[in-house]
Amino acid sequence: MLRVDPTQLLKGVLDLAVLAVLRDEDGYGYDILRRLRAAGLEDVGDASVYGTLRRLFNNGLLNSYVVPSDEGPHRKYYALNAAGRTELQRSGKVWSGFASIMDDLLRERGKA
Amino acid sequence: MNLTAQDEIAVYVEGVRLALAGLPPATRDELLEDLPEHLAEVLAEGGGSLTDRLGPPEAYAAELSASAGFATAGQPTSRYAAVTGRAARHRARISQTVQRADVRVGPILGYAKASEFLVLLRPAWWVLRGYLAAMAIAFMFDGNSRLGLMPRLGGDDFAAVLLLALGILGSIWLGRRGTPARKWPRRALRLATVYLVFFALIGFFEVDSAAQRDGYNEVGYSGWNEFTGVRDVYVYDGDGRLISGVQLYDQDGNPIRLGEPYCDDPTSGMSVPSRTLGYPHCPEAAPYHPGDPSAVTPPTPDTSTPSAPATSPNASAPAASSADSPSKPPAPAGGAQTPAAKDPVDSAKPSVPARVG
Repeated sequence: MLRVDPTQLLKGVLDLAVLAVLRDEDGYGYDILRRLRAAGLEDVGDASVYGTLRRLFNNGLLNSYVVPSDEGPHRKYYALNAAGRTELQRSGKVWSGFASIMDDLLRERGKA
Repeated sequence: MNLTAQDEIAVYVEGVRLALAGLPPATRDELLEDLPEHLAEVLAEGGGSLTDRLGPPEAYAAELSASAGFATAGQPTSRYAAVTGRAARHRARISQTVQRADVRVGPILGYAKASEFLVLLRPAWWVLRGYLAAMAIAFMFDGNSRLGLMPRLGGDDFAAVLLLALGILGSIWLGRRGTPARKWPRRALRLATVYLVFFALIGFFEVDSAAQRDGYNEVGYSGWNEFTGVRDVYVYDGDGRLISGVQLYDQDGNPIRLGEPYCDDPTSGMSVPSRTLGYPHCPEAAPYHPGDPSAVTPPTPDTSTPSAPATSPNASAPAASSADSPSKPPAPAGGAQTPAAKDPVDSAKPSVPARVG
């Protein structure tokens, strides 16, 4: 049995991943989901992404606006606001530090 | 996007909504806000039903609420939630079927949807509902609970019309006010409607079958008349003798049937089939017997008035003869003209030619 569960890992970093894919371009729910999957997070759950978006929005890290659509339903776009960008940087640093520690750890053990 | 996709989305959303029943309504609505759009995207991509792609609505709801930070509330924790979730999906499926039928039947009636036509019939339903309500009230409060066509209370025509008018006006008034906004009045109204529909179905069948039955009964069971209770016919001739084997016919030659060919056995009291042809069926039960003056009551011999025996044309005997012996049969004819016993029957002849009993 795998000691590292990708699903569990994803739970911890999904907020950061969502903030990251919104850094350069606004997106609506399904669009964000597709970007995450295209980046390699294929197991990300639909409901998780939508729930995360809702929570980040409620926490004041995202703005949202509705774009009317002639075909299909209106789309609700999400955009990073200032607080969101700050959070992305802070959390990004935390993740980077954590990841490099893990990298070092694994590399040292690998060498040993 | 076609109708089935819309329906599938509606069903799924309803399932998720029910699974999120533990959350405050505002939070739940918030979470569900993007869901239809999301589901539409998923379906547009193709590749199976929503449940195939996303798992059951309950699982989706659990994941959604957990990732949105409402960890515990989302899961259908109780059996009750699971049951209501299933019920919601059934309800959604039924409403889906109804909607499809609505669209399909509509063109037959000349409308886009059948419901458009039914909405036009609403005032007619109000009137019918008022009538049914009046009937139901009359049925409940009237002791004589046989259904007719009018809401009768104690058989009073005026009260029936009044009740009918009140029922219909009340129903129209209620209908014009629209569906009650609050939950309990709305439920009460629905319950009452269901009751009325059942009442109407049962009542209409009852009244109808009663009407059919009455038409049939008119022939064989026309109620009381002077021949009701006639079980046998006894015919006496001019001399007071019982005639047996009598056949009765009407003016068209149709046999007249009275009574039943059964006799009571005097010893056992049992009813046994008659052995005689024609009337009387039971000769031994004859009310009068020749030579039995005591059985013939009208001209009782012990009368004290002289007029009783005066039927004989030769009644020249004075009243003293009856005063002589009140207890004995008098010899009213004076001489030894005829047997005394024959006289009473003879005198009864004009008025009672055939005694029935």
